[in-house]
Amino acid sequence: MLSSINSRAIVPVACAVTGFVIACCVLLYTFVKDDLIKGEIQHAADLSDTIIKSTRYAMLHDDRESLSNIINSIGEQNLVEHVRIFNKKGLIMFSPDSQEVSQFIDKSAAGCTECHAGPEPKRSLGTMAKARQFTNNAGSDVLAITAPFYNEPECFNAACHFHDPEQSLLGTLDIGVSQDPLKRTLGQIQNRMIMFSAMVLVLTVGAVCSLLYRQVFLPIKQLADFTEDSSGDTLSDEFPEVSGEVARLANAFQKMTRRVRELEGQLQKKEREAIPPDSLP
Amino acid sequence: MSQVEPQFDVQQLPGREVLRQKIEARIRHLERASGNGLWSMVLFLLVSYFAFDGFAILPDLSDDARRMLGAPPPGEMISLALVVYAFSSIVRTLARMSRNIKPYTGLMHAAFFTAFYTFYQLSGVLQDNFWAVFFAGISVMGLDNYYLWSHSNEAVRKERALLESMRRGGENIQ
Repeated sequence: MLSSINSRAIVPVACAVTGFVIACCVLLYTFVKDDLIKGEIQHAADLSDTIIKSTRYAMLHDDRESLSNIINSIGEQNLVEHVRIFNKKGLIMFSPDSQEVSQFIDKSAAGCTECHAGPEPKRSLGTMAKARQFTNNAGSDVLAITAPFYNEPECFNAACHFHDPEQSLLGTLDIGVSQDPLKRTLGQIQNRMIMFSAMVLVLTVGAVCSLLYRQVFLPIKQLADFTEDSSGDTLSDEFPEVSGEVARLANAFQKMTRRVRELEGQLQKKEREAIPPDSLP
Repeated sequence: MSQVEPQFDVQQLPGREVLRQKIEARIRHLERASGNGLWSMVLFLLVSYFAFDGFAILPDLSDDARRMLGAPPPGEMISLALVVYAFSSIVRTLARMSRNIKPYTGLMHAAFFTAFYTFYQLSGVLQDNFWAVFFAGISVMGLDNYYLWSHSNEAVRKERALLESMRRGGENIQ
């Protein structure tokens, strides 16, 4: 299989280049995917901050109707899969899905374990740790963020409120956004990278192959045909148009052939001279 | 002038036999060396098979062991190290090929790529990066093995030619 010089020179290089380019493409795709997901998490975290700030006034005034309207309006957004506010005990207080209201959140579920894994719940998390990805019951991929409502002096000093100042956390906002647009974008990037890599590979390997063939293998093949000619008729001809080292090799071969022919001629002449004329028929 | 038959020293014959045995031993050594590359490739493929499902065959690391090992390196750093390692290995093998330097025959590449799988697994990003390690390993070790195989074959061919010329010389003596 690898007996010809073409395959011995081209196949290993082509395989090594192909493997390396594929490995780099996979890594590049992973980098791009990570960056996009981080951007999406940051976007969801900003959205949850906006919701917390928007509901602050209604909460300070214990205006549950306004709060409910705000949560319902957010829940009607196209890409919002769920949005809910639950209290410290995990009881869902507000949600656009009326069936969820007054239900308890499972603290062992994904998204809760980051804070509730140990005996003492964590007070705060970084932006990335607040996020979780899962597939919901409708089969849609969801990126969810949980953001806490902390107890602030305005909360426990308000006349209408009864929060204990020692209580650090009042409740949690949980919002989930659909990952379908992100998946579509990643799919497009993946397809474009595959096409781009395939074109780069074909061009690189093709260019190397064609240059090697034109500059090296073809002249060597011509030289091999030229020297293998059994009749030896072509040896006195000029070698086909080539240049460089192959031309030097062809010229050296021609010189050697001429020299061998001269020596053969001289030898035959001496043999003829050595035989006495009377012994000839 | 009478032609004198050449006289051969009978002591040369055991020497030739020793030389022939040495050449045959060298051929066997070269053939074994050529096979070593395949063992390294088989080991890598075996590790890749287990890495594909996240080394599910192995028990999970305990919390104590994780604390002892410390924080795993970030995935980006491992990927950067993988690209640098694969690139430099390919360049080194190509340089060896162009200078006709003796090829490498050990299990170093298999060990390094196993380490990459392990680091990705500890960082929790093996599933995303499995194919990168696999293709990098296949290209690096494939090129290395090809060079080892072609280099060994060439050396074996030369040794066999030497053996053949010795055999012809021995027939002429007899």
